[in-house]
Amino acid sequence: MTADLLLQAVVSGLLLGGVYGLVASGLSLVFGVLRIINFAHGAVMMLAMYTTYWLFTLAGIDPYLSIVVTGPLFFLIGMAIQRVVIEPNRFAAEHNQLLLTLGLALFLENLALVLWQGDFRSVRPSYAGASFVVGEALVEVPRLIACGGAIVMALALFAFLRLTDVGKAIRALSEEPEGAMLMGIDVGRIRAVAFGIGAGCVAVAGALVTPFFYVAPDVGESFNIIAFVVVVLGGMGNFVGALLGGFIVGLAESLGATLLPGSLKQLVVFGLFVLVLLFRPAGLFGGGRDR
Amino acid sequence: MNRRAFLKSAGAVAALGAVPSIVRAQAKEVKVGYILPVTGPLAFEAQLSLNGLQLAVDEINSAGGIKALGGAKLTLLPGDTQNKVELGNSEAARLIDQGISVLIGPFSSLVAYSVRQVAEKNKTPFMLLAAVADNLTEGGLRYVFRVQPNGKAMSTLTMNNMLEMGKAASTPIKRVAMMHEDGNFGTTMGNHVEAFAGKLGYALVQRIPYSLKSPDFTAELSKIKASKPDLLVISGYYGDSKIIAETAAKLRIGVHALVGLANAAYSNPKFIADNRDLTDQLFDGNYWHNPQSPRAKAVFAAYEKRFNSTLTSHGVQAYTVIGVLKDALERAGSTDRDKLRDALSKTNLADHILPQDAIKFDDTGENINATPALLQVQNGRPVVVGPARFAEAKPVFPVPKWHG
Repeated sequence: MTADLLLQAVVSGLLLGGVYGLVASGLSLVFGVLRIINFAHGAVMMLAMYTTYWLFTLAGIDPYLSIVVTGPLFFLIGMAIQRVVIEPNRFAAEHNQLLLTLGLALFLENLALVLWQGDFRSVRPSYAGASFVVGEALVEVPRLIACGGAIVMALALFAFLRLTDVGKAIRALSEEPEGAMLMGIDVGRIRAVAFGIGAGCVAVAGALVTPFFYVAPDVGESFNIIAFVVVVLGGMGNFVGALLGGFIVGLAESLGATLLPGSLKQLVVFGLFVLVLLFRPAGLFGGGRDR
Repeated sequence: MNRRAFLKSAGAVAALGAVPSIVRAQAKEVKVGYILPVTGPLAFEAQLSLNGLQLAVDEINSAGGIKALGGAKLTLLPGDTQNKVELGNSEAARLIDQGISVLIGPFSSLVAYSVRQVAEKNKTPFMLLAAVADNLTEGGLRYVFRVQPNGKAMSTLTMNNMLEMGKAASTPIKRVAMMHEDGNFGTTMGNHVEAFAGKLGYALVQRIPYSLKSPDFTAELSKIKASKPDLLVISGYYGDSKIIAETAAKLRIGVHALVGLANAAYSNPKFIADNRDLTDQLFDGNYWHNPQSPRAKAVFAAYEKRFNSTLTSHGVQAYTVIGVLKDALERAGSTDRDKLRDALSKTNLADHILPQDAIKFDDTGENINATPALLQVQNGRPVVVGPARFAEAKPVFPVPKWHG
């Protein structure tokens, strides 16, 4: 195994890890505040990717530029979903809430299948093939932009949670729900905002990957399952942990592909998942409450 | 006067009314049952097959039906599998109860594997459509027939076509790397490419199965690049195949060509239209029609006129299956399932639109001359570049762009 191959694995692992981190951040935030595991997260990403595709195909809007549309749009869609579907079932048993989001995911995927059929689509802007070489490692420009965009987005969100009143309310709700309510925080609204932010995050991630990916009704699954691993790795509800966890999973995957034969890279990722659950059930960086 | 000419003139005499009582006594209809996943995730592809069936049936009926049966018309009886095994079985049984002479379908190999037993038990000829798994004709079944190449023919003949092309271009292919999706389809193809390495005289230097859900193949392709293959073979579906071609281009993978093996993307007109610069000069070994055949051109024109879209390889297969059926019915002179089965097994049909010699079946029901075409994307269109006698253009090989 040469050093070149390892360097390449590290570079491509980190680039994808950023996107994993952003997808997982949204999931982690929603879990921290609403205490539900949102299986529909990947389906929302898929819808955002279709939105990006149609904006590019019909209106010629650059995928990255379209973020200014998809981000806010899916923030609102997320809030609506929370209000209409999630909130009425807030006191339902945990497994019912799980089934609810799973059902929502199936509904959205099949809706996409009806609306746009099962065939794959791709967006290919002029810079899709751009790349450069660092040392002996290839850096694909769209993947670099996706990773950079994901980090910027995650940092902005982090600052939002630290510095603004709404952000502080979200954190309060995540750390001490009853206390937050007693302090006069409109917890219903904050829950909707948190879910909206989760959907907005994954929508931005969807737009960022579209130039180097493809769009199909089940495309969200590729990222959704990985995002669960990342969230557990980083600590359920731990926002920064999710971003770091994303990089770790990205690295594990690509080093696994380099060092092991065949499809074993998935094994590395899920092996890591099981190990963390066994030995660090609160995640590598601790859960949301002691963040 | 040979036998066929005799039958023809006998049929003509019969049609002219020399023996009108017999003609009237015969069936005026041949029931043809099809089972396809016309609803569910494969609905789009199934419709392409169904269009091909309809086009062929209408063509035969408007030209006077089955002459040996006094001009009997073909009637298509529908069955929907939704791509589910249990529905495939029950729909097949229902159609057989309705008195079909032949069953056509069912698209997926998994459904076909089960339905073939239903057909066999009821002694009903079962003409496979789209299903590629090698094992569908195994087990000594008498009623299963397959016109298109199976997985083994597809992979070995495609590899052979590439090797021949390499020799002709004085750039021999000695080292082959393969990536395939890790499901049934990709693994079958991978097994064949590996098994035939020794026999066909190339070394398989890397074989990498991958999960369809993986969003990045940079590490895998870097490994392949380091093993310095002459050829990269890819058996996959749409999304994964796209990412692989894209990453290979950026890595300057350094092979003489990228070739798909029954690839769902590399000769798919939609994929090519969406990714013009990426797809240029990609190869793919796949089902296709014979571009040299004047009849194929006519069929394409008729299809275009009727369905307002281009005939696809699924439609070509379906159209051909009905052609084989018609030929067998004319020779059987009966709608009886056993007589039809015997006539099918003696098929020797040269008048077809496939890139192969006459359609003939071996004892297991496989078309012994079934051949995939070797396609290459040129000027935004997949064109046949091999086997040489069916080619409509010269291959570009080696492909400079993969060397960067």
